[in-house]
Amino acid sequence: MKKLVLGLAAAAALAVSGNAHAQAYPTKPVTMIVPFAAGGPTDIIARIVADHMSKTLGQQIVIENVAGAGGTTGIARAVTAAPDGYTIAMGHLGTFSAAPATYPGLKYDPINGMQTIGLAGGTPILIVARKNFEPKDLKEFVTYVKANADKVNEAHAGLGSVSWTTCTLLKGVLGTPKINAVAYRGTGPALNDLVSGQVDFMCDQIVSVAEQVRANTIKAYAVASAQRSPALPDVPTTKEAGLPEYQIEAWNGIAGPKGMPKEAIDKLVDALNKALNDEGTKKRLLDLGTVLPTAEERTPAGFAALIKRDADKLTPALSAAPKQ
Amino acid sequence: MDMLANLSLGFSVALTLKNIGLCFVGCLVGTLIGVLPGVGPIATISILLPITFGLDPTGALIMLAGIYYGAQYGGSTTAILVNIPGEATSVVTTLDGHQMAKQGRAGVALGTAAIGSFFAGCVATVIIAALGAPLTRLALLFGPAEYFSLMVMGLCFAVVLARGSILKAFCMIMLGLLFSTVGTDLETGQERLTFGIPSLSDGIDFSVLAMGVFGFAEVLRNLEAPEARDVVKNKIGRLLPGWDDIKQSIKPVLRGTAIGGILGILPGNGAVLGPFASYTMEKKLAKDPSRFGKGAIEGVAGPESANNAGAQTAFIPLLTLGIPPNAVMALMVGAMTIHGIIPGPQVMTRNPDLFWGMIASMWLGNLMLLVINLPLVGMWVKLLQVPYRLMFPAILIFCCIGIYSVNNQPLDVAFTALFGLFGYLLIKLGFEPAPLLLGFVLGKLMEEKLRQALIISRGSFFTFVERPISAGLLLVAVAVLAIALLPSMSKKRDEVFTE
Amino acid sequence: MSLNQIERAQGLRVRSTQDLAGGLFMIALALGAFVFTWDLPSGTLRQLGPGMLPKAFAVICAGLGAMLALASLRYNGEKLSGWSWKGIFFALGGALLFALTIRGFEFGPIRVPALGLLVSGPLLIFFSGLAADDRRIKELLIFAVAMSTACILLFKYALSLPIPLAPWLLGI
Repeated sequence: MKKLVLGLAAAAALAVSGNAHAQAYPTKPVTMIVPFAAGGPTDIIARIVADHMSKTLGQQIVIENVAGAGGTTGIARAVTAAPDGYTIAMGHLGTFSAAPATYPGLKYDPINGMQTIGLAGGTPILIVARKNFEPKDLKEFVTYVKANADKVNEAHAGLGSVSWTTCTLLKGVLGTPKINAVAYRGTGPALNDLVSGQVDFMCDQIVSVAEQVRANTIKAYAVASAQRSPALPDVPTTKEAGLPEYQIEAWNGIAGPKGMPKEAIDKLVDALNKALNDEGTKKRLLDLGTVLPTAEERTPAGFAALIKRDADKLTPALSAAPKQ
Repeated sequence: MDMLANLSLGFSVALTLKNIGLCFVGCLVGTLIGVLPGVGPIATISILLPITFGLDPTGALIMLAGIYYGAQYGGSTTAILVNIPGEATSVVTTLDGHQMAKQGRAGVALGTAAIGSFFAGCVATVIIAALGAPLTRLALLFGPAEYFSLMVMGLCFAVVLARGSILKAFCMIMLGLLFSTVGTDLETGQERLTFGIPSLSDGIDFSVLAMGVFGFAEVLRNLEAPEARDVVKNKIGRLLPGWDDIKQSIKPVLRGTAIGGILGILPGNGAVLGPFASYTMEKKLAKDPSRFGKGAIEGVAGPESANNAGAQTAFIPLLTLGIPPNAVMALMVGAMTIHGIIPGPQVMTRNPDLFWGMIASMWLGNLMLLVINLPLVGMWVKLLQVPYRLMFPAILIFCCIGIYSVNNQPLDVAFTALFGLFGYLLIKLGFEPAPLLLGFVLGKLMEEKLRQALIISRGSFFTFVERPISAGLLLVAVAVLAIALLPSMSKKRDEVFTE
Repeated sequence: MSLNQIERAQGLRVRSTQDLAGGLFMIALALGAFVFTWDLPSGTLRQLGPGMLPKAFAVICAGLGAMLALASLRYNGEKLSGWSWKGIFFALGGALLFALTIRGFEFGPIRVPALGLLVSGPLLIFFSGLAADDRRIKELLIFAVAMSTACILLFKYALSLPIPLAPWLLGI
């Protein structure tokens, strides 16, 4: 109800103040398109970061959830919008690096056709398996899966999802692209069947699976990052556990249409950096198991390089994946 | 006893002035937004999710849970008053609930729904508190094969019990199944029947289809027959259910609560089947099944209780396993996560305040709903007095804004209009939209589970009969069909889906 | 309408235009679905492809449609009744106008600017309101403005939904 009163007051204030403000960007709320439904990992990171960015910008960043086609509908809308700095999007590994190889008719070009702002956070990827899956560690897992490629089942959260993308890469690295992939609608149902032992293994973001690992309802073989995650310090990295070729992180980052004014880009980059340096925001992100981006990755060029690097890494495996 | 200690902890959390306030505001706002046609529970929660972000985790979840029950109940109100189901589970409520409204018994229908929901909610809360942990195992027994068989059973119920014309009901179920295949194929990513339209790539949205074939089509039907809708506004009977009504509702409420509560625990949105199962059961048990579809109070009391019990027990997989069983619960996961509580099997031990506080607030929320809704009944019924020439543009704008807000896609509104035309055509051809929606909802799950089961079993159909639970469910399905096909029994077939 | 209750009649002729049209309608929809899923691989029973279920459902739909159409020749039933063209035109047209103007629309040479809720709202209410037989223009105008204002306050401000208000005037 307070919200309602505030809203009405805001409406009145808006009517009075009109366009009295100075002309410097931003003079009106900025729309940040989140290409997934409210409440998902990307939406949460977007809301946490946008919350602080709004303070720096002096204008509200309005989150607009435009879900569809693995997030590509929303990104397509954002990067084809007017490049005035008032429409940006929070995408992820899938929508920026994997999408060109996943969706043949993609309506945007993440490498050349958009303006990157910066990385907001990385999320380690875990290789997890049902509790009673035979292999004890990653080495055994690799041998077992290679030897039983026609028997094991991998679960993923639907074509184009982070778990599908990263698991397809894993299967590419293992040289076993034909392993049975069981498609679910989202991480929840896939995890449910992993916990109940219907399927054998999956790859997903640490935020989605860490609690299950801690509770011993599933087991984790390795985390596919350079360092161990503070969220699960006992789980070795793929490098330590003997599969150094498998390095992938799911990340979330901000981009907008190509041709945005420099002033807008600078202000958005600045606002993003201020948000990521803010202790409160940092803590909220770290609680989710997020890895904070390096100074380099927080710049437009650094983020663009990351998109390119992961696209190059993923494209061979994704193109070879048995889908079409 | 542990449970008592836990519950008292829960109530000590839930009964602070702040949390009572949040629960009340949540229920009220949820009801008010949920009652708008076109804005079902999922839309309501995603709309209101951000306003809980400023609160502490427990407070936020208590408020969000309040919004959820409120929206759920608000959706039933719309189903009864204007014949628009906000979500799959209130489709059944439109059947008899709206008929009651047309007979001037809107108040009784709303009151029965509120009381039934309250009872179901109370029972479900106790079940969660007492048996939440052991019941979790039930959720884990259901793999893709079991789930597929459950869906088949659901469809068989619908086929057997539909009368109107059984053939036409069958047509609609199959058409619903066909519609459910629209969208990107989950496994291969190939587009099916999407005609290259991005809005269709994730399939037809339930609310788009439901607003179209129920909401818009109903408006068109009413526009052609002005006298039909005036019946609603001229007769206003008693506002609350009388003793006779309550006596008639007791057993349906009990049965509905049991059915809905059990189905709600199942993963993958088993709660959807609850109201349908309850309705078919009430009709089977009724002395005079022909009253159903013409404003039978049992047809509101049973399904509404099942709906609310299921909505409540759906929290069990979330709270004890940390796995959301449906879209609404996935939103709750998001809400917990953004507050730094990542749901998992250990929430209960690690955040006991939150866990038990939330359970206690469920009961509180149900009580609030009753407190809020009984007085509101009068207001809702008065709304029916608004002349239809003003009412339908209002319905249309709420529908349009609601549909638009789900995905912020204008094209969704255009599709709703298209489905409105389609729904009107169905009415003209004597088809009923309810079986269409049932087929649509079950179809999505069915195909998904069928293909998952077949991949896991390496293409062996034996998987469905080898697994005991799956086999049992299929056996029930076959038995139900066999009964229907026996000519001597077929005379007793009664209608589920006639409006 | 009900097959169970309707007495069987002698001889073959169209006895229910509604059922006949319903049957043909089902067949037409099924044919459409079948044609458009034609090139999707069906896979095998052991490994279902994306085309298997749509095609199977389409075939069953067509079969049911045929049964319904045939039944209409043998059983008495309801006749088709008239359409409310006014309702379709104004009510659905209103919703369509809303969809076209809320964020703007571009389709080949046709361009509609983004008018926002401030314009789309009253437009929808006024246009669709014309469908009622007992419409009163003045009342409808007032209602359109009042209702839209209420919606704007509710959705845009109280609930802060990201719905465009009037990009051409206010920039939001």
